[in-house]
Amino acid sequence: MVTNAPAAARPQAAARSEAQVRARVADLEALLGDPTDPANPAGYPALLRADDDAVRFAHGEELLDDFGMHTEYVPARLGGRLDSIETLVRVMRPVFRRDVGLGMGYGAMSFMAASDVWNEGGEDQQRWLAARLLRGARAAIAQHETAHSNDYVRSRVTARETPSGGLVLSGRKPMINNLDRAEALVLFCRTDPAPGSRSHSALLLDPAELPAGRATLLDRHMALGLRGNVWGGIAFDDCPVPASALLGPVGSGVATALRSFQISRTVISSMVLAAVDTSLRTAVRFDHEHRSGGWTSGASDSQRTTAAITGAFVNLLLYDCLATVATRAIHLLPEQTSVYSSAVKYLLPRILTETMYDLSIVLGGGFYARTGTLGIFQKHVRDVPVVSLGHAGTVACQATVIPQLPRLAARSWFREEEAPAALFRPGQALPEFDAGRLSLACGRDGLSATLPAAAADIPGRGPVERALAQLAGLLVDEFRDLRDRVLALELRDRTTPVGAACFPLMDRYALLLAASAVLGVWRHNQGGPDPFLADPAWAAAALHRIARRLGATVPDLPRECETRVRHEVQLRFSDQRGYDLYNTPVPG
Amino acid sequence: MNAPMTRHGSALDHALPRGWLLDRIALYLGRSADTIDPAVPLAEYGMDSVCALSLCGDLEEEFGLFVEPTLLWDYPTVDSLVGYLAAELAGADEEG
Repeated sequence: MVTNAPAAARPQAAARSEAQVRARVADLEALLGDPTDPANPAGYPALLRADDDAVRFAHGEELLDDFGMHTEYVPARLGGRLDSIETLVRVMRPVFRRDVGLGMGYGAMSFMAASDVWNEGGEDQQRWLAARLLRGARAAIAQHETAHSNDYVRSRVTARETPSGGLVLSGRKPMINNLDRAEALVLFCRTDPAPGSRSHSALLLDPAELPAGRATLLDRHMALGLRGNVWGGIAFDDCPVPASALLGPVGSGVATALRSFQISRTVISSMVLAAVDTSLRTAVRFDHEHRSGGWTSGASDSQRTTAAITGAFVNLLLYDCLATVATRAIHLLPEQTSVYSSAVKYLLPRILTETMYDLSIVLGGGFYARTGTLGIFQKHVRDVPVVSLGHAGTVACQATVIPQLPRLAARSWFREEEAPAALFRPGQALPEFDAGRLSLACGRDGLSATLPAAAADIPGRGPVERALAQLAGLLVDEFRDLRDRVLALELRDRTTPVGAACFPLMDRYALLLAASAVLGVWRHNQGGPDPFLADPAWAAAALHRIARRLGATVPDLPRECETRVRHEVQLRFSDQRGYDLYNTPVPG
Repeated sequence: MNAPMTRHGSALDHALPRGWLLDRIALYLGRSADTIDPAVPLAEYGMDSVCALSLCGDLEEEFGLFVEPTLLWDYPTVDSLVGYLAAELAGADEEG
């Protein structure tokens, strides 16, 4: 019996830690309070005023300090509370639900900078940064140059080695979030004028240590969204920095960036879902208030708004399936995350931004309100698209996945072993994250293997489950078709510049990965803690939407499918629970 | 020279993948093989991550060679690539 003790102890520990995470999220929700309450100093009216004035939401930041949010970005081994990427996302969602700018400016940018240091930094660099973050300092990040693209990534800094062994920086970076107050700066620069991917390096700098006159802060840059974030630039004029600032070996900058993108793309995509959760709740509230007053003009309007609301919920669920699976894959399938992180970030503007516009028909003219409780809807519409810019823009994500398609099609699709059940179980304990296992490309995809495996194993109890089975079968056909199309690509289609045919193929692949995640979540939560996830109704509705996006001819869903999902939207609204996979209590 | 290559072919063929490699790279870059200077980094001809990763896949398919996706970062010219691959193929043959 003694030999059984560790195994028996593990689930108990896991259950305790899940309870701890739930308690932490609940504490934060209580601290931030009901955002719709006009008297709440952390509520929508207050944060909308800060956004309007283009200043940081100071009271929100104070509350997050009180909560100790800054310690969530520091690994437990360095004294912080970061034990899993999934927990980080869950703790940040309450912030993003209220204010995307607060979430990015308070912490997500610091985490992005820090994760380069946690992944690649020496022990001294890790301890140095951990000490700063743990006392509430910010870290900023200046990504590497690109020849084109938007203001967030354009322009360059070069570093040349000096005879004394140090480095001298020249050039400028125009857009660095939080630079004005950052006490640590991760800076990507060119260390070799030759083209190629070994020409960049990453540095970890203390902005206060840069010699006066050699580094100059540039004027703040304003964007349409995230108005409360303070983006500043920096210009270097033969600015000396010590060689000990190097993060990893000279020339490893691009690999460093590509590895940490796998984490940052996933985490940001997953956090920002919470904003659209609010958009849906705002629309449902508006619908309730106006319909009960007899405002709607007729049955057809009512049908359209109901369909928009139900559809938005299904979109959130299917997006969260991929976001949560991608997040858990960082721990469970780290070799494979380059594809999943890019797929979910690619779908962000396609699903989340689109969902907000779909909901606009519920609000009517209220869509344009910029103040009061309704104003949060407009703010999220402005902020969410800004998050999908930068180094993880659509093209960057496509460029990560497209070169991997031929190999995946030839070697992995329909051959790979199914992903483990744990990948699909939100909140289940995760093994420790190992940055050394992140791979730039690995030619394997266990998530999509779930699609044919799950499709072949749907019992078909009742009409909804039979519809699910039918839709799953249809998507397996689409996946087979995708494989054939990728295999049929001529060599020249895969080359520089990438043939136009590759882009729609990547789009279809991202949607099929989402479908695989939906089926996996449904299948592996049978008998799980949330009976809603075990119900086939939402999964069938999700596959129905995906199949339609793929252009497949789809059968109508059974009526009870829509009814069940519609009821859940209303139930969660009355019950004050979130519109995501975690089904968390929310205060208003 | 474009020596005919067979999958997992003889050690003789393995010793010199230069012809195959040049042709494949030329195809990816959309230029003829004789315009590629084997000592010039391929990035200067416009080789990007898409072709680089495709080439890694090709090496796996044609020669059964599993290489890091960063292969072309560390061996950026045709000369350095050939040197590295010849050594790898010879090693693979000895093991086989």
